Amino acid sequence: MLALAWRNLWRQRRRSLTALGAVALVVAFSVVYYGIGGAAGNSMYSQLTGSSGQVQVHAAGYRDTRDFSAGLIRDAGGVRATIAAHARGGQVVGVLDVPALLIHGDRSRALALDGRDWPAPVRRDYLQGNRLEGRFLTADDGESVVLGRSLARALDVGIGDQVQVYAPGTEGFGAASFTVSGLLDVADPAAQARTALVSLSAAQALAAPDAVTRFEIHYPDIKRVVDDGVSTRVAGALTPLLPRLQVETWRQVSPGLVKLLHAFGPMLAVITLIFYVLAGLLVVNTIYLGLIERVREFGVLVSLGMTGRRLMGLITLESVLLCATGAAAGALVGTGAVAWLGRGFTIPGFQQYIASFGMDPMFYPSVGTGQVAQAVAFALATGVLAALWPASLAARLQPAEAMRFAA
Amino acid sequence: MSLYDIRGLEKTYRTGEVQTHALRGVDLSVAAGEFTAVAGPSGSGKSTLLHLMGVLDTPSAGEVMLDGRRIDTLDRRSAARMRLDNLGFVFQAYNLIPVLTALENAAFVLELRGLGRRDREARAMRALGDLGMAALAARRPNQLSGGQQQRVAVARALAAEPKIILADEPTANLDGDTGHALIELMRHLNREHGVTFVFSTHDPRLLDSVDRIVRLEDGRVTGEETRPAA
Repeated sequence: MLALAWRNLWRQRRRSLTALGAVALVVAFSVVYYGIGGAAGNSMYSQLTGSSGQVQVHAAGYRDTRDFSAGLIRDAGGVRATIAAHARGGQVVGVLDVPALLIHGDRSRALALDGRDWPAPVRRDYLQGNRLEGRFLTADDGESVVLGRSLARALDVGIGDQVQVYAPGTEGFGAASFTVSGLLDVADPAAQARTALVSLSAAQALAAPDAVTRFEIHYPDIKRVVDDGVSTRVAGALTPLLPRLQVETWRQVSPGLVKLLHAFGPMLAVITLIFYVLAGLLVVNTIYLGLIERVREFGVLVSLGMTGRRLMGLITLESVLLCATGAAAGALVGTGAVAWLGRGFTIPGFQQYIASFGMDPMFYPSVGTGQVAQAVAFALATGVLAALWPASLAARLQPAEAMRFAA
Repeated sequence: MSLYDIRGLEKTYRTGEVQTHALRGVDLSVAAGEFTAVAGPSGSGKSTLLHLMGVLDTPSAGEVMLDGRRIDTLDRRSAARMRLDNLGFVFQAYNLIPVLTALENAAFVLELRGLGRRDREARAMRALGDLGMAALAARRPNQLSGGQQQRVAVARALAAEPKIILADEPTANLDGDTGHALIELMRHLNREHGVTFVFSTHDPRLLDSVDRIVRLEDGRVTGEETRPAA
């Protein structure tokens, strides 16, 4: 029966190819569309984890405390060693957020001064997305600060100027003077006005010696959500080792982003469903025209003893074969396109606009096996649904009447 | 005992207000192993009679018994099963499945019966051999002449070893010699294998070798002739 269905499919080669092409196009489009949807999710993931890591270690109950000292991790060196031993190749970054007042002349701005380590891969990743003018921070740089360009404009400073920093209520010197070594065009324009970076050692001297607000573990090479299996494993390994600290993956740090990522699937499914309905109509047309042309033949099949149900099965099989062939071709083209685009691409002229939504302007499309399977399943369901009506018509044919039929 | 017992068979077609009486009370019996021709001019009701005997249509009145079982009241599914298990058909327009080879066509009914590929192809090949078509088994219908296609159609019916083969004007699309040769072949199969044949024709030249002729005119049996075996 399979051979008969397959050969029947190619009796009207052009018509079958058109329907098959439509199905292939829709499946390929769906896969690429899922990939682009995945790219948007990856972009948000990449932006989030690029700036705050895939795993974070905080003082216990850090979300509820407003007291600077209560939110600190003491013995930062010891904790860092434990984390580094279980980070599975991740870059461990110590971060100390210092509530501070930046002053230049008669201008001042209150913000969280960002003191942190900058391991080379993390720095490279950061500077890929944010353009720097001047010099970036070096390790143990105790005298330099890098400012967002908007912040520098607000303070009326340029490269080489001095800014005064006051951090009242902290545990270090509480005041320091820094030289502006670089200006950043941060991709997110809103973040430009509150970006002030110093080295971790400088921030610790200013506000909390040998302490950090958190540790971040960065995996700069992971750009896609689907590739991120390590964060859960590392967090799981660290939690029992750091019982008095709070270990969280990026999913726990940003539950809102996780919800948004989960919402992508249903949104994409609804839109692609519309395309499947259109492709389905084309398949119905192909199957129905084939039916009209073959009424006499169906009459013969029934005369020879084929039951109506079996005839329905044959017609449905033809439709499913058509859609399955189209789906296979479409899935192949779609996944190929996503793999090609998956190396990363930007949309020229829209980088800043995209960054304003909290997304990395570099897109990394990805598509999961489940999504490809969903696209193929949609196509097969289209095949079955498209055949139901013509097949049920054929199944009701009276053999003698059908054999008298002239198309 | 009769294989077929037909009593008071009527068939009326309705097209809008117009009624056409294709059969008007036909009584007929066919014995197992007979080689019977239903003869009559076009429009006499030959095809309708064969369709009703083959459970391809339902009569307006009367009854059709096959091997002691009433078959004119069967539902669709049972009718299909009845045709599959007991009847073979040969049609005027050959009606082979165009995408299948001669061998696949001949094996098709056996496939519907669920026979394994090896068994059905062996039986189909044997039937094609009986009809002198073994050498052309791999050809598709469009690569065969009309006479060859009709022989494949007979092989299709024969391979399933039915109780009876009903052939509706099997020679109508063939030239005289080819048509005559086909009837002779069917007659040979009837004698060799004991297959019961009922075929319709309007060509009197094809009636020489039959056991029995049932003459049909205007939907009524107007005469029956039994011929001595040749």
